[in-house]
Amino acid sequence: MRRLVPFAVLVGAVALLDGRLDQRFHVRVLTLAIVWALAGVAWNLMAKAGQISLGHSAFTGIGAYAFTMLLRSDADVSPWIGMVVGMGIAAFVALAVGLPTFRLKGFYFTLATISFPLILELLVAHNGDPELTVPFHPENEWRYMEFADAHTYVWIGLVMLVVALAISALIDVTSFGFTLRAIRDNEVLARAVGIRTVVWKSAAFIISAALSAAMAVLWVKAVLRVTVAEEVFGITVVIVMLSVAFVGGVGRTWGPVVGAAFLIPLAMFLDDSIGESVPGAQELVYAAALVLVALLIPDGIVPAAERGWERLVATLGVSSPRGDRVRRVLAPDPRPSSLLTVVRRPPRRRLPSPPGMPVLEVDGVAKSFGANRVLSDVAFRVRAGERLGLIGPNGAGKTTLFNIMTAHLRADSGRVLFKGVEIDRMRAPRRYELGISRTFQVPQGFHLMSPLDNVAVAAIGASVPHPMKASMAMLERVGLAGMALGELGALTVAETKTLELARAMVSDPELLLLDEPLAGLNETERIRFFETVDDLVGPETAIVVIEHSVRALIRYVESVVALDEGRIIADGSPEAVVSDPQVIKAYLGSKWMGHARDQ
Amino acid sequence: MIEFLQFLVPGILIGGVYALLASGLGLIFGVMRVVNFAQADFMMLAMYLSWAVFAGGVGMDPFLAAPLVFAAFFVGGMAVHWLFVRHVIGRRENHDAQVILTIGLGLIFQNLILIRYSSEPRIVAPSYANDGDYLGEIFISRVRLYAFLLSVVVAALLFLFLNRTRTGRAIRAASENWEAATYMGVDIGRTNLIAFGVGTALTAVGGSALVTFQSITPFVGLRFVVVMFAAVVLGGLGSVGGAFVGGVLIGIIQSVSQVWTSAAVKNVWVFGLFLLILYVRPNGLFGKVQRAI
Repeated sequence: MRRLVPFAVLVGAVALLDGRLDQRFHVRVLTLAIVWALAGVAWNLMAKAGQISLGHSAFTGIGAYAFTMLLRSDADVSPWIGMVVGMGIAAFVALAVGLPTFRLKGFYFTLATISFPLILELLVAHNGDPELTVPFHPENEWRYMEFADAHTYVWIGLVMLVVALAISALIDVTSFGFTLRAIRDNEVLARAVGIRTVVWKSAAFIISAALSAAMAVLWVKAVLRVTVAEEVFGITVVIVMLSVAFVGGVGRTWGPVVGAAFLIPLAMFLDDSIGESVPGAQELVYAAALVLVALLIPDGIVPAAERGWERLVATLGVSSPRGDRVRRVLAPDPRPSSLLTVVRRPPRRRLPSPPGMPVLEVDGVAKSFGANRVLSDVAFRVRAGERLGLIGPNGAGKTTLFNIMTAHLRADSGRVLFKGVEIDRMRAPRRYELGISRTFQVPQGFHLMSPLDNVAVAAIGASVPHPMKASMAMLERVGLAGMALGELGALTVAETKTLELARAMVSDPELLLLDEPLAGLNETERIRFFETVDDLVGPETAIVVIEHSVRALIRYVESVVALDEGRIIADGSPEAVVSDPQVIKAYLGSKWMGHARDQ
Repeated sequence: MIEFLQFLVPGILIGGVYALLASGLGLIFGVMRVVNFAQADFMMLAMYLSWAVFAGGVGMDPFLAAPLVFAAFFVGGMAVHWLFVRHVIGRRENHDAQVILTIGLGLIFQNLILIRYSSEPRIVAPSYANDGDYLGEIFISRVRLYAFLLSVVVAALLFLFLNRTRTGRAIRAASENWEAATYMGVDIGRTNLIAFGVGTALTAVGGSALVTFQSITPFVGLRFVVVMFAAVVLGGLGSVGGAFVGGVLIGIIQSVSQVWTSAAVKNVWVFGLFLLILYVRPNGLFGKVQRAI
């Protein structure tokens, strides 16, 4: 119910304003504020995943041209149908544009988007008409979206805006939005816990593009009245989208509405009063807004207002429920609601486990970074239920080997088999789904999310039926239930390591890779850590542990592989490996045997 | 074949100017990891400055005015860095702020110029503007040749600055690994300031090399922004040398495309190539492909 409050406020405010406005110019300002709020909401869908698009004018251009050309054609297609067609084309183009860049780091998406509207505009202006008049059909208002009363456009715009906001709000409360926030926060980790980032980013981009195309039809019909390539494909479209979204709150559903309510009237009234003598006044408003937001409140008014309110509540000592309510109305719920299961793939399928087949087989793996050979011809096997230790000096290639197993790196040669199936060509999310989980040497996290949500991302990535419940149960098992909703940064080293373990275990993996899990822990915590692992894993789970505290390790594992300079120098039982002269020479040091005897 | 050469030679000449324009963008990205969307508007401002000193009574030749433009934009660039840019660099979360800050600054420049000088195109035509020489059957425009030579001279000076001076080496160190550079005693704040000034001035000189054959409007930067980005990405983001190579290649492609398609769509080739490079070799022709796995 709380989520409906802002919708009611919006509709009420527009109704109130619309009833009082009789000057043509004022109705135009209101219409444009709605049009640009709609555009901003559409643009912001991409920003939820941390993707800044500078090319959305490609979609407004497509929307405007598609409906105008269809309306001008002999088929005399209604703008409503033209709108749907334009949305379809825009969605298709978005997919074609997005797919190649979504595999790259976030930054390249922004760069790639710059050139699309430019290409389209040049092609349209050169091969088609740089300017298309929209045929005037006063005889049938609804069929031709041709209303004599300008107020009608306000209400059509409001309906479209409400629909867009509802889509955006729905994304926020489902695993879709949850996933997008995780991608924005830490994309590499998201992929490592089974989130198919390309799919989710593409989905957001398609919806965003389609809404932008729809907005363009309203914009042309209600305001421009003529489709001009320079305008509908123009950079100004992007500037206004950026301005309303960033001023209101980047990635926030209600941000663009706030931003447009501020900026559009300001820009238009300024233009109306001094536009004759100062031609760039409108653009200067948007430009100044962008610069000021960048320097003062980079995340926008809505989050800043929330912070201000919380501080006010804290200083006044007002009882928190009220403050809490306002915060909830303004902000998307930090965690997905019961609607979480709305967007869910069928449960993952695991590979069959033929008896006797090793869970992991590393076969002749080699890897170089430039001239630096990090791994050469590494081969070993891990059986179901086996615990294997991986030791060796820093730079021996241990973590590189993990990174190859989890698709963070690709081996130059050799194979990695998981339950007899080659996984070298599979991407990170697929390997995670198959049952390979890992922790990181330098703990990774979604820092804008709570510990509970960190685990929940991994649960969603593994298609666990009730991700929130499963994550909470996991935190209870590892003893972190008390910190579930706290801040990630407030956890101790031991708690952070335990959280990493919880995140890795929520998918119920068949191969668990632990990268220096004991580093930074004291003696009690070390013992407790392995106890927690044993408590969580099933009898069939294979575990590979990289660890420098060899004494703790050899008490835990059943076999050890020792690496030095990328080669296996010894493998076998822990006792045999640690007394191997080569291992002592390369890694343990001559004092080791003395130590070991003292124990 | 001769038709091809007739487009290739001017392509190389204009490519030299693109190289200069792009080197400033590349330098700033290399040191600060800031993609400066206002870079093309510095070029636009420099074109207006060249026009002002040429047409505004002084009658100074735009090529001779290049040192003046360099000095003015070195100082101006440092001022912009100190007032605005330095507040949004360093942290990863600042990436969005960098994008909107530089876009906003560029827009402010454009519209202030629009208000002051209107959108009427301005032209700088020195007495030799239409002169040229024939090399065999290939016509070489005098002003384009001078623009290319100016770019070569500035490139040589930049090379000496980056390799032979203490500040230049600090800039290179910071661009390779700024964290390590700070441990080695490089004053990163000062290095950023100077790099931003030099980067701005390089692009500005590129602008003053353009004015003799490119009409000037407040929005002329929009036509060059993707050309500059394409050059920088082609050469590998952050590499000044790469930006030079990329600029020359872009000039050649843009020009030679006219053998097959109309001049009106020559930039479609540039934009298309830019996308292709982003898709298949995002770290540039000479860099290694890195994926966010």
